[in-house]
Amino acid sequence: MKTKRGDMRVAQAWVELKTRDPEAVSALGVARAYLPEGGTLRELRRVRCIELEGPLPGRAELLDLLHRSTQFYNPHKERIALRIEPSDPAPVPAGAQVVLVTERGATARPAAERWWLHETGERIGVREGVAWILGFEPGTDAAAGASGLAVLRDRRHGLLCNPHSQEHRQSDAAVPLPWIEGGAVPDEED
Amino acid sequence: MRAARVAVVQFPGVNCESESVLALSRVGLEPEIFRWTRPAGELHDYQAFVLPGGFAYQDRVRAGALAAKHPMMEVLAEEVERGKPVLGICNGAQALVESGLVPGSGTVELALARNRMTGRSGYFNRWILARVEASECVFTRHLAPGTVLPLPVAHGEGRFTTRDPARLTALARAGLAPLRYAGADGRLARRFPDNPNGSRGAIAAMCNSRGNVLAMMPHPERAQDAGAVARGVTGAWAERRRAAADAPDGLSGGGPGLLLFEGLARHLERA
Repeated sequence: MKTKRGDMRVAQAWVELKTRDPEAVSALGVARAYLPEGGTLRELRRVRCIELEGPLPGRAELLDLLHRSTQFYNPHKERIALRIEPSDPAPVPAGAQVVLVTERGATARPAAERWWLHETGERIGVREGVAWILGFEPGTDAAAGASGLAVLRDRRHGLLCNPHSQEHRQSDAAVPLPWIEGGAVPDEED
Repeated sequence: MRAARVAVVQFPGVNCESESVLALSRVGLEPEIFRWTRPAGELHDYQAFVLPGGFAYQDRVRAGALAAKHPMMEVLAEEVERGKPVLGICNGAQALVESGLVPGSGTVELALARNRMTGRSGYFNRWILARVEASECVFTRHLAPGTVLPLPVAHGEGRFTTRDPARLTALARAGLAPLRYAGADGRLARRFPDNPNGSRGAIAAMCNSRGNVLAMMPHPERAQDAGAVARGVTGAWAERRRAAADAPDGLSGGGPGLLLFEGLARHLERA
């Protein structure tokens, strides 16, 4: 049985560069060099987390559809891990922490939704965020360390999420499915 | 008397340093490109600072996010405390906001978020109209409130926003939003494309409470020639553009963007 949100099925795709992600390399270097919470950070990976919600096909067909459009990923450069059940593992090592960062009110991927409708005739919702996977030195309180790096506070504290325009969630390796909140109302002009 | 020295601070990926140097030279200042590879402490030797536009660190994590952590920003924060002026343009503005130097309470209070535009997304460039507001900002206080400056914008993340909209409104009311997007009639631009990014309160620039740090999304250094003003711009600056085209020095007549640098020069002359 697929994971459901109401009557809708949800799948979660984790898309990551096959090579080391330059963005993560830079963020790791800056965190370790300049931020107190980054001193024990050993590994930092950046993964695009994409959730599809709607009348979805089975795993094989779903993977095939995702493979066919760069709206989702580029198989020449990126690898994908698909979760359709909460018991499916996320590509997160035991002991690591995940910080999901989304743009407030802008998680939807309308172009991907249009492509899906064109290809399958089905209307689905597609949402996307960036999942930062943080690994710390042994003996470090990983949850506290990740929390300290997650939210930008000042020049010396926080990095991954500017809370004035972004939202964040944090998890250990048992990542929820679904995890990305959709349908947020964009900021209104004051 | 020797001209004031201005450091044009360049992080890797910043690409508007030469235009900024030219604009500073034209108003009688002594600019110098200060690259990230130099010891940050050498910044103490300058009287003012410009953080030009571009894509520092390829906008990794967020635009300005990694530059904001660089030791040079700590030195700039010390110099800001001493009252020295800092102008951040576009990507430079993003670094100032991400480092908390604007509005300057010590914590990060704002974001320059992804553009929110009608019918499109991503990067957007266009000439806009920026209206001068009443403010003690050293870069604009010599200009009469209501003055409208045509300036180019070119960014993907330029929407001033904050978690608490009331805070942004309060900052603007306190005179910390010295430039706001306007329509051709001079009224605040609430809608795209006159408001090119969906910025709250049509805010195009924000300064700190002391007025010596300005983070602005439009590019004044790209509008330092009257002849560079876009053909679609109407009004007084269109007249000056036409006059500049007929002038013996071609396009070199001072443009609307040069006024911001003149504000800096006046301030440094008095300091």
